[in-house]
Amino acid sequence: MSGIEAEGLIKRFGSLTAVDRLNFRVDTGEIFGLLGPNGSGKTTTVRLLSCLIAPSGGSARVAGFDIVKEPLRVREAVGVLTENPGIYDRLTALENMEFFAEAYGISNKAERDTRIRELLEFFDLWDRRGNKTGTFSKGMRQKLAIAKAVVHRPEVLFLDEPSSGLDPKSAKDIRDLMEDMSRQEKHTIVLCTHNLEEAERLCSRVMIIRRGVPLATGSVEDLRRKLHGAPELEVRLEETNEKLLKAATKLRGVNAVNVRGGNSLAFDLDDPEAGTPDVVEGLVKAGARVKSVNILRPTLEDAYLELTKEDQA
Amino acid sequence: MRIDKVLLVFRKDWLEVRRNWQIMAPILLVPLIFCVILPSMMLLIPGTSSSSNGVGSLIAVLPEGVRSEIVGFNTNQTIAYLMLTFIFMPFFLLIPAMASSVISSDSFAGEKERKTIEGLLATPLTDGELMVGKMLVAFVPSMIVTLVSFVVYTAFVDFLGFSLFGRFVLPTINWILVIFLLAPAVSVAGIAVTVIVSVRVKGFREAQQLSVLIIVPIMGLVVGQAFGVLLLVPAVILILFAIFVVIDIIILKIGLNMFKREEILSRIS
Repeated sequence: MSGIEAEGLIKRFGSLTAVDRLNFRVDTGEIFGLLGPNGSGKTTTVRLLSCLIAPSGGSARVAGFDIVKEPLRVREAVGVLTENPGIYDRLTALENMEFFAEAYGISNKAERDTRIRELLEFFDLWDRRGNKTGTFSKGMRQKLAIAKAVVHRPEVLFLDEPSSGLDPKSAKDIRDLMEDMSRQEKHTIVLCTHNLEEAERLCSRVMIIRRGVPLATGSVEDLRRKLHGAPELEVRLEETNEKLLKAATKLRGVNAVNVRGGNSLAFDLDDPEAGTPDVVEGLVKAGARVKSVNILRPTLEDAYLELTKEDQA
Repeated sequence: MRIDKVLLVFRKDWLEVRRNWQIMAPILLVPLIFCVILPSMMLLIPGTSSSSNGVGSLIAVLPEGVRSEIVGFNTNQTIAYLMLTFIFMPFFLLIPAMASSVISSDSFAGEKERKTIEGLLATPLTDGELMVGKMLVAFVPSMIVTLVSFVVYTAFVDFLGFSLFGRFVLPTINWILVIFLLAPAVSVAGIAVTVIVSVRVKGFREAQQLSVLIIVPIMGLVVGQAFGVLLLVPAVILILFAIFVVIDIIILKIGLNMFKREEILSRIS
């Protein structure tokens, strides 16, 4: 069963089309990355899927519920971390959590208390539960905002820049929490982020959108290959010469060799990992002195920058 | 509509409101002036009532029933009586109007300004539950403040005025009708206007400035009462109540139609 299924989703604000025929599917328990520059339509997509706004066209089902016909059921089944933490400064951390827990339908007080304590302890906020959140640091507010978004154990979780403003330890805690929720509890997570390293680490698949239009959808590996080809083997030598270069091109499994600055040779191999020993052995036999060997993989950032370069111009 | 969810919104907003002195100060200060300072000035400072001008024109238009209440009073007693039982009466409509518009401005537009509205709208609370919960948090405190002010004012006037009038002069039927009929109707109007304004504006101040327009017709009543043009006697109060109820229904209906998640969100981004 799919956590999210969107078909031809459209959202227009007057003459502006913020989301244009978006088709995608997120499997139950999957962490799906929604990437794109500012104003690309990520927030509008999340608002559509969490039933904050109605679509102008197309359809979508979230946690099995239709976003147009069953908005209340959708909102019960999803948790949303919005761009702003959305917590009440004049209420304490505990009062904030109690309000959202009840609003999301945890009516049993004992169950509510246990869940709130569990989350506040996980985020190191239990000792500050009686303090008004107006006195909290940005990181503490962000942690509380995530805690309130997951308080009802939502089937589908939308997280907009979850690690924004967090210290490295807290950011790691959030990533661990997302992985646990996805793998063990089978929650579906949609992660909107500009932190491509985080997306690369967490997401099984990503969608890159620009001006409301999906540019590419697939696994991080697929996108890297699609846009930048296979990984390369980079060998740094003490020195290079014509004789070495000729020998390198004739080595087994080598499709092409490019000379890079700093006496480096970049080898295009069908399988860089399997081919590395043969290449290194061949180069040494040809008289080369090898200083270092690296397999260069294009990053998600390379793919993202390639796809969104029009917006950066 | 789930009552427990309405009360949840009410409790949350009330916690926020009562911890905000920018809201609580005017709500408490204005009634204090009306129910303690004004009658004290009238009854404790010598010569205040005798120096009041223009009351003669009011006496001339008083209905027969009211004139019978002041039979045997000297000028000082008459002026003090009319000020305390007639002229100050519309001021007590300013209390619910002001309190309800200030609280509902904070409750509706304040959530937008503090950027908490999106998280609230993402919850499975319905538009109706949110709207009614937020209206209640403006209505209940404004009516409590109005009732407490009325009780304090009555006690103050009767305690300080007993030696002057030789009897308790409050409450009268006019006051009871104003406090229990007209004040709630005015309070609902203040809230309904604020709901409409709050959906359209981005911040609390803007909402508050526009919603206090509800005070304009009430100031008209103050002036009308002082000059005897529109006296708040039972028949007039009942007519005004009926007018306010109609206005309330119309404005509330417009407000309910406008209170939509999408409309609200479109004004914050």
